[in-house]
Amino acid sequence: MFTDFFQLLRRCGIPISFQYIIEFFQAWEKGLVTNLDRLFLVTRLIFVKKVEHYDMFERAFAAYFLGQVDKLQIPEVDSFFLSKPFREWLDKEIEEGNFPPQALHEMPLEELLQKFWETMLEQQEEHHGGSRWVGTGGTSPWGHSGYAKGGIRVHGVGGNKSAIKVLGQNRYTNYKQDAKLGAENIRQALAMLKNMLPVGPHNELDIDETIHRTCKNGGEIDFIFKRELRDQLKVVLLMDNGGYSMMPYVRLIKLLFSKMRSQFKDLEFYYFHNCIYEGVYSDVQHRNFVPLRNIFQKDKDIRLFVVGDANMAPSELFSPYGAINYYVENAIPGIDWLQLIADTFPYAVWLNPIEKKYWYYQSSTLEAISQIFHMQDLTLDGLKNAITYLEEKVEK
Amino acid sequence: MSRGSLTIEETILQFTSTDRYYLNPELEEIVNIAILMEKPLLLSGEAGTGKTQLAFEIARTLGLEMEIARCKSTFKGEELCYIYDTVLRLNDSRFGTGDTKRDINNIWDYLRFGPIGRAFRSEKRRVLLIDEIDKTDSDTQDNLLDVLEDNSFIIREINHCVQAEQKPIIIITSNAKRELSDPFLRRCFCHFIPFPQVDEISKIVKLHYPDIDDTLLQSSTEAFYKLRREGFEKPPATAELLDWLGALQKNERTGPENNGEVAFLGSLLKRTEDILRFKKQRR
Repeated sequence: MFTDFFQLLRRCGIPISFQYIIEFFQAWEKGLVTNLDRLFLVTRLIFVKKVEHYDMFERAFAAYFLGQVDKLQIPEVDSFFLSKPFREWLDKEIEEGNFPPQALHEMPLEELLQKFWETMLEQQEEHHGGSRWVGTGGTSPWGHSGYAKGGIRVHGVGGNKSAIKVLGQNRYTNYKQDAKLGAENIRQALAMLKNMLPVGPHNELDIDETIHRTCKNGGEIDFIFKRELRDQLKVVLLMDNGGYSMMPYVRLIKLLFSKMRSQFKDLEFYYFHNCIYEGVYSDVQHRNFVPLRNIFQKDKDIRLFVVGDANMAPSELFSPYGAINYYVENAIPGIDWLQLIADTFPYAVWLNPIEKKYWYYQSSTLEAISQIFHMQDLTLDGLKNAITYLEEKVEK
Repeated sequence: MSRGSLTIEETILQFTSTDRYYLNPELEEIVNIAILMEKPLLLSGEAGTGKTQLAFEIARTLGLEMEIARCKSTFKGEELCYIYDTVLRLNDSRFGTGDTKRDINNIWDYLRFGPIGRAFRSEKRRVLLIDEIDKTDSDTQDNLLDVLEDNSFIIREINHCVQAEQKPIIIITSNAKRELSDPFLRRCFCHFIPFPQVDEISKIVKLHYPDIDDTLLQSSTEAFYKLRREGFEKPPATAELLDWLGALQKNERTGPENNGEVAFLGSLLKRTEDILRFKKQRR
């Protein structure tokens, strides 16, 4: 039972394990699932462990149990309406006169489905361990016109149960994994950054050594402490604050990394416009010029983050004297400078505020730069990948 | 709300909003499910959503004793179960036990139990709160895994297994300062408490200020949610709202504005940068 639903969760990218399914049936045996509301809570508690997945779970649940297929395009839902248990139930209801066929045409699909699941849950004994909901074809008793008329596309949510009614409110959209970085999910982003920090052993009494030394000392106690290792991580951020499109991201990124300041040994911000040439600026207004050679003098093991959309006129990247600001004298094209930066600092990633799925449509410069730098987008997932990439590189 | 076949526990678990604590019905169900499934319940969410408070309320409503483990980044996990006081034993071995009645040859005199140890050894069921687990590193979380799963731990020095007499009700809170390890999440029931909606926050406010003026409540909560949406470094949370309303009421204000400025801004925004940014936007 519900096997299709479990499969659906998997396909929606929610990692579930066999253990969860067993737990679900344990909950079932204990009689915890008494209505749709409970079903929603119990399945969510058991299968969803991260807030990133809440939104997808709510959609999957709405699609599978309430037929809100517009939330999620899945073929299973259609075949579900043709499946045997559903059709048997519907036939029985009609036979018993619970639904006059005309009323059926008027009834929103969600309501129908909700009634179905309620009945199923009430008679869980009969169906326990029973059949899979695989469709076997056949014509639906209320016909195709009724299907549409009954409101398969009806928006809004049926039912009046506390948990179910929140479906469709998209309460958790901002916490989704591919959600853009914003004020709401800065906490999650921060949690990911912390993975960058190796936590060393702390001040502690070295008991073995203490006992050893105490014995040598003729029983006079001699305390030996282990030294604590401190984090030595240095972080440099180069940020494109040229166009207006970049402004909100610059602020967010600064906020994000500033929150971590106490944990870094060093944290520096630099700015550039579209592409990097001989130097960058240490202030937002581009007044204090800092030649790249100063940056190159830094330790090679700094973590370097470049934040920019990598989207510019091709000449700005590939041609000598291509800089967007005419007063910048640059004989060497930007791409060579970028290559030099990437070669100098092995632990570098490029964070792009443009979402990955749209990269294909951007300027050819994005493609070229992503060949040089490991590029990720500025989403929670992107940030996580970037950190993982850096960490794996360090370990090697 | 129908609770169907919840049996004996249902009579004990009249776990609802109290005069001090507003409980979202969804959360109420979740707590009851977690207790019945005997799974640790991991609550995450912003500060000020009442995560820690919930554990206290559970203990209070169910009339159970509580053990509280407040996590620190230096924890290794074991000290929550027990501490073997080597230093004291060393000291005693050198300077004698005096009249403390400790026996230097008996290790039990030098073992002290932490919150988990006490909860396991108690004859009565207890509520075990592990507060802010995210402060600990992932090794600590992994160490705690087996303990929470098996409801037992081993005192390494003497290879003695402490088995829980009564499985405690375990509530774990996390401020999401650090991501928790996947195996840890897998063993818990996880619930993310969203920040209260407007109607819920009004209920919360009314628990604290029963005779608050409705117009003041409405206009100030509107201003409050507007501020929250702006993405400040430290967005105001429930505690700030309550402080602010307290200040407004003491000064007998009828609205959140004071000559076009938000009155008592300092009780809502705590960071200098946030306040400066807010003032700049206003100009």
